[in-house]
Amino acid sequence: MPTIAYDIVIIGSGPAGATTARVASERGLKVLLVDKRQELGAPIQCSGAVSRHALEAAGVEPNQEFIQEAIYGFGIYNQAGEKTTIDYRQIKPDEYGQGEGQLPLGYVVDRRRFDRYLMTQAERAGVEVQLKTEGLGYESTINGGCAVQLRHFNNTFQVKAQILVGADGLQSQVGKWAGLQTHIKLKELASCLQYVVDGVQTDGLLEIITGQHWAPGGYAWVFPKGHGYAEIGLGVARNMTKHDARWHLEQFILHSFFKDRFKNYRILEIQGGGVPLAAPLKTQYADNLILVGDAARHVNPITGGGIHTALHGGLIAGNFLADLLQSGQKPNKQNLKGYQDQWLEASGNAMWKLYREKTAIFRNKDIAQRDNLLYKTMSDYFSPYSEYKKI
Amino acid sequence: MPKKEPVVFQIGWNACIHCGACVAVCPHKPGFITAFDTIAVDTPCDIACMACEAICPVSTITHQQVFGQKQDIWI
Repeated sequence: MPTIAYDIVIIGSGPAGATTARVASERGLKVLLVDKRQELGAPIQCSGAVSRHALEAAGVEPNQEFIQEAIYGFGIYNQAGEKTTIDYRQIKPDEYGQGEGQLPLGYVVDRRRFDRYLMTQAERAGVEVQLKTEGLGYESTINGGCAVQLRHFNNTFQVKAQILVGADGLQSQVGKWAGLQTHIKLKELASCLQYVVDGVQTDGLLEIITGQHWAPGGYAWVFPKGHGYAEIGLGVARNMTKHDARWHLEQFILHSFFKDRFKNYRILEIQGGGVPLAAPLKTQYADNLILVGDAARHVNPITGGGIHTALHGGLIAGNFLADLLQSGQKPNKQNLKGYQDQWLEASGNAMWKLYREKTAIFRNKDIAQRDNLLYKTMSDYFSPYSEYKKI
Repeated sequence: MPKKEPVVFQIGWNACIHCGACVAVCPHKPGFITAFDTIAVDTPCDIACMACEAICPVSTITHQQVFGQKQDIWI
């Protein structure tokens, strides 16, 4: 079988990989997008909240295929249950709401449908997509390109490419292949668990509950999930508690100030994952290789939000790679650094600043002070006047 | 600190939610994984940092020492 050649090969078809693929293909590159899964997005490791602005900025139409529920704002709680409400239906009633001419602030999406939708959009833009295809390794070749080893339904084969894009998530093996420093400290990876539940009321707000008592080193959340369902979840830093996320989630459901609200809850799905509350990777490129999305740790270090940042990073990556290859430049380390520079300029530098703020909060040894700081920072972060609005 | 003894991890698959957090926190070189988004269970780990056990949201990773006394396994 002759080796097929592509401009770029992307490993991992989540929001970052599929967006990189779609944009690069729209710009005229020959793109192969592979994912090892048989069904994208599953098992779900994410609560699925994303702003409407983030979708539109990445050229993704909010579509009923993946939307589970529209969101209009935030409710931030401190440990005792005092609440800061940031409801855009009240702040800007002309713009936000369910009436004619009004729009939602954002959505909770079903990651299975969302990831499939983004993959489909990439495919329709000309990307070749292969599911059930895992990456095994890559090496730079003498002609300045690279060879990528893949396995599809137990058949191992090789493709040629100019650039390999690692969009393989937090567990990224691609970054490790390149020898990049991808290791995340235990204290910077929140251990998260959430239940999709029936029997819990919500009101179009993303609710965030702070405080050492409920979620040491992280926070708890209650998100609307459509069809009358909700998500109840939390993330904890394991250096700050001897219990696991499941234990804390049970405590939160049974004993928090929401215990009456939760009393009829019934679990419909159980989901979890690691959420980085960390800085972006210092080096996100190598010869013939870049990382994007969770693999590059393009994740908000305060909220753990990573869909909008993945879409945004994919947009930057797709355009950058098209510019690079179409101008005849070599895809070596020196030139691919430009991708990271563009990303830092667009949002990475602000993400670093947010990381330093987060680190300063958790460096405070006084628990009450720390709780207050986190509550205030979260409340400020979601305010319409936040400098970090789109980070 | 004394050098850590190598361990072999075991996963209670009934509780595993395949979230990949153990892989994400693992400092190993690439490939210390199973096909089910978990850290390797059939290979001794000579780092033995136990971060994978700590991060697991459902505490379903345990280990045995490779060399040692009772209950331990020999490879």
